[in-house]
Amino acid sequence: MNDEYTPKIIGFLCNWCAYTGADLAGVSRIQITPSLRIIRVMCSGRIDPLFVLKGLLKGADGVMMMGCHPGDCHYQKGNYSARRRYVLLQKLFEDLGFESERIGLWWVSASEGPRYAQVSSEFSEEIKKLGPNPVREEIFI
Amino acid sequence: MTATQIDSNKMPTKGAIIPAEEEINKTIVDIFKKSLEKKCFDAILIPVRVPETEAYAWVLLKDQSLLDEANPLPPIISVQGAKALRSLTKRGKMTQNIAAILRPCEIRAAVELSKLKQIHLDNISLISIDCPGAMPLSDYLADPEKSKKIYKNVLEKWGEDDSVRPVCHICNRFSLPSLLHRKSVKISPVEQDEAKMPSIDLHIGLLGGNQEKIFLIPVNPKGREILEKLELKSDDSLDLWQTKVSEVQEKKEKIRKEFNLELKEKIEGQKKLTAVFDECINCHNCMRVCPICYCQQCFFDSDSLTLSPETYISRAEKKGALRFPLDTMLFHLGRMSHMVLSCVSCGVCEDACPMSIPVAQIFSLVADQTQKSFDYTPGINKEEPLPLQDFLEDEFHEVETPSEAMTPEEVN
Repeated sequence: MNDEYTPKIIGFLCNWCAYTGADLAGVSRIQITPSLRIIRVMCSGRIDPLFVLKGLLKGADGVMMMGCHPGDCHYQKGNYSARRRYVLLQKLFEDLGFESERIGLWWVSASEGPRYAQVSSEFSEEIKKLGPNPVREEIFI
Repeated sequence: MTATQIDSNKMPTKGAIIPAEEEINKTIVDIFKKSLEKKCFDAILIPVRVPETEAYAWVLLKDQSLLDEANPLPPIISVQGAKALRSLTKRGKMTQNIAAILRPCEIRAAVELSKLKQIHLDNISLISIDCPGAMPLSDYLADPEKSKKIYKNVLEKWGEDDSVRPVCHICNRFSLPSLLHRKSVKISPVEQDEAKMPSIDLHIGLLGGNQEKIFLIPVNPKGREILEKLELKSDDSLDLWQTKVSEVQEKKEKIRKEFNLELKEKIEGQKKLTAVFDECINCHNCMRVCPICYCQQCFFDSDSLTLSPETYISRAEKKGALRFPLDTMLFHLGRMSHMVLSCVSCGVCEDACPMSIPVAQIFSLVADQTQKSFDYTPGINKEEPLPLQDFLEDEFHEVETPSEAMTPEEVN
């Protein structure tokens, strides 16, 4: 094994699209980054900004939010809510001077296994460049 | 629709000017005494000084004589008015007509709570007042007599005396009618008629009156009706008030900008922010007094975040050490993510903080920016949906990563 730093990334994936997309990537034998820890949610609209904050403050190096493409939501409009929440998070990070590069939102459909593999490895590469999340060292947080 | 209807999208230009005989306070109280007499309202919710103490409490009054101790603008905010109003209408809407005299931030919090279905505003006339701010609770309690004198000065100087709380000192929403004509107040065509009714009926203008007179400003037809019942003519010009409001507004915007730049310098970045919240003693007072934090059980009071002792040991081993109780920062940021879009910067959180952490200042700073990105000003229009309860299909595309359909060959 090499000592290269592999980031730990939490991915909140919508059951109906991105999660199935990730499954498809696996079935299609596409290589997927090992840095992603997937948490399946029933809809990207279920992702409370708190989940993302908790992930990062507990030491995850990055958090990915993935949902259905606009207009394709299994519950009609959950992903639109997710987008608004993500905007809120982005703003919050900007205002407080946190690294907003550590979070991201993607639309990945159930048939986009390759896209899933691509965006997750791209994000993982970016996080690798950023380095480990500084809160990992922070005791008094 | 009568010809006398005031367009809520513009700042009102006509109202009634009432000369103040002795104290401003008494003049206002006299008006409300008369309003009870003339049956404009069945009862009035107003801060009243608790006899033989220096405390103020919200009291629902039906009796005129009790109004003598009332103070529509006490030097402190003890309980946020929206909380008082919420406890009043928790079990359903008022069946009688109530007037509630509240500070602008309290009214805005009440409107936010009505959007969150926590307050019934039916049959309640919200009456706002130009607010010079409130004193910090701790300063006031240390020397109430001196504080009252200082507060008189605050009322006279408007914006120059910084003995008010920091969030009050930088408050640019001290006069509600000036906010009603802002562009950001969205009105959908369907709800237009009702939405034309702003959240307040009547406004008490103190600015520009030089302590010699007050302005009674009807903001919608209901407000006009109240003035009619009081046998007051509402065709006096409000120029004096308007000029002074814009003047103070300009001054405050400048102070706010500078203050926030300085504050940002102090708190920006995870290291600095951790240092600020390091003093937190986890009492959660800020959450408990916050008018917007309405949840029956707060997530952070639940056991959802607790783990088994073994997990903590292994985490402590990995990190070197672990602070207990955990999640101080998560509490503040989590609370922020839940309520910041409705934050009205009333500052009661900071007043309640035993460690004097500048919570309200930080929340106000973040609220400014986050609310702006949704083009939302909380507590202005009852019909305007909360940003997180609403969406447009075509918006915020800049946050999405562009999608390109790819074949497996392209990826591998």
